Amino acid sequence: MALLKPFSKLPSLHASSILLVENEELFQQSLANALVAEAGVTVNVRLAKNLPLPLENEDKRPRIDLVVFVMNLTSELSFQSTEASLKYLDPGFFLGKVCFMVTNARNATVPSGRLDSVRKLAASLQCPLLFAEDQSPDGVANAAERLLTILKVSAGFVPTITALYLSNLTRCTVPPDIDQLSFE
Amino acid sequence: MDDVTRRLLQRIVRRIPSQMLRPMLEKWGRLQQKQLGSIDFSLPKIAITEHLLSICQEKGWGTKHITELELLYVIDNPNVGLWHAFQLVDPEDDALMVEMMQFKEQFKSNLNKLVQNVSIKFKKHTDEAIWIRLAWGESFSKPNHFTPTFVVHHLQSSYVFMNNVNSKKKPLLYQALVLATRYQSIKHANLSGRKLHGIRDLLMKQYEQVFPSKFPSHIPERTEDKEKANNPLIEREQSASSSNRLQLACEAFGEGKLPEIQSAVYRLETKFRGQSKNMAQSKEPFKCVVTFSSTNLLESLRNCASSGIASTPVVPSATHVTYICGCVYGLSAHPFSRVRFGTWGVTPKGTLQTSAQSYPFSVFAVENRRRRRSHPE
Repeated sequence: MALLKPFSKLPSLHASSILLVENEELFQQSLANALVAEAGVTVNVRLAKNLPLPLENEDKRPRIDLVVFVMNLTSELSFQSTEASLKYLDPGFFLGKVCFMVTNARNATVPSGRLDSVRKLAASLQCPLLFAEDQSPDGVANAAERLLTILKVSAGFVPTITALYLSNLTRCTVPPDIDQLSFE
Repeated sequence: MDDVTRRLLQRIVRRIPSQMLRPMLEKWGRLQQKQLGSIDFSLPKIAITEHLLSICQEKGWGTKHITELELLYVIDNPNVGLWHAFQLVDPEDDALMVEMMQFKEQFKSNLNKLVQNVSIKFKKHTDEAIWIRLAWGESFSKPNHFTPTFVVHHLQSSYVFMNNVNSKKKPLLYQALVLATRYQSIKHANLSGRKLHGIRDLLMKQYEQVFPSKFPSHIPERTEDKEKANNPLIEREQSASSSNRLQLACEAFGEGKLPEIQSAVYRLETKFRGQSKNMAQSKEPFKCVVTFSSTNLLESLRNCASSGIASTPVVPSATHVTYICGCVYGLSAHPFSRVRFGTWGVTPKGTLQTSAQSYPFSVFAVENRRRRRSHPE
């Protein structure tokens, strides 16, 4: 199986790499533009629809510091594609180098069980879960800023913190009564 | 000035958006420059209507002149109501030689013979289309100008487009058209839509066509790709497969702007292939009706194929709209399970949304026709 490995290559100097995985390939483009516009840090952005990544790019690909899975809550296909892609990540990534980003969570058409299952997925993998708003430029800038914070830690730019430590603080947790029906 | 004229003018001025009012009046051509200059277009519409009414009263204009203005406006903005496309069949020998004056006179005389009290107005548009505005009246009442029928006919082509035709007047209108254009009969072309230009372009093939070729090598570059290429820090991992999908989608639907069709209805007879025992055991084919509807159906289907929601190469039945040019199709014994449309399923009321694309479409009400016969399952 072509697993994406976190530590098999040497890191590049003063640069970091982020991989955005999104089934719809929409939000990742605006996120990428916001990320590279950041002064101060050189961010290489790789965009993919799902994993596994094609083997032809293996040599030219830099070491990936952070993998972000972007899910659109209104689409079941998005969630299923993310679950399928997770199998192609080496377990070493889950020590703080994976993050989940969810869009459209406020949409009324989203079935309530879907957000719960996303939460459970993120909690079982002990990864942070971020919510983003993808329609306005402010929302995109906001989401990019938060991703950058995590990316800087994962890439080792912040002296006293490691990715594993940060993920311990920011990981998603599910409340114990998540399976009980809520009355709204 | 009578009440009808006044109300008609008010209605028209209300309908035309404020920015378009001045260009429309200039196009109308009946107002002199001085009078046009004296109207203050920044006032609210009621004031402008009053001013126009006073001008019309001075000049003694009636309904006839005001309907010209309405016709001009509708020619520029035909997207009101549902347009139906019709085809004239069985031309007589001189059908192709009918020219405008002849058509006009014939149509007028035929229609006046068939129906009393109908008001007809003609306008020839720049692209060889004749626009006809009809206001129907009963035997002893004046024509009702508030629900006009619009007919568009492209001379020398066999297509007619109609909007807002009363079903009682339909056969009379058909008769008059058939006689005036020297054909033998008229039939519904199985195409309707809200946008006149969309159905006209589709029917008369005035869009960028796609021709099958054995060695398709051209991969269309879109402007977004060019922007991406500018930034060397952003890289797509699976660019080969996405450009492949894009190419196959463009092969099926063409690269340029597609005509704007709003809905396509498929009548299917198919066999259920799946895990459910009840459905799979029945020997009769499963009949259902699937409707696709969207603001721009062809564009959303092309988007579906290029974004990977539908599997490529595109199933021929999806391109039926462009080839067969209709709205309703019958398919039988189609291996439906082979078409992967995301989370597709033959459910009683399935809705499929594409992911927030610019052209989302939804699939409605897959009805099971068998249920109506109250057949015990």
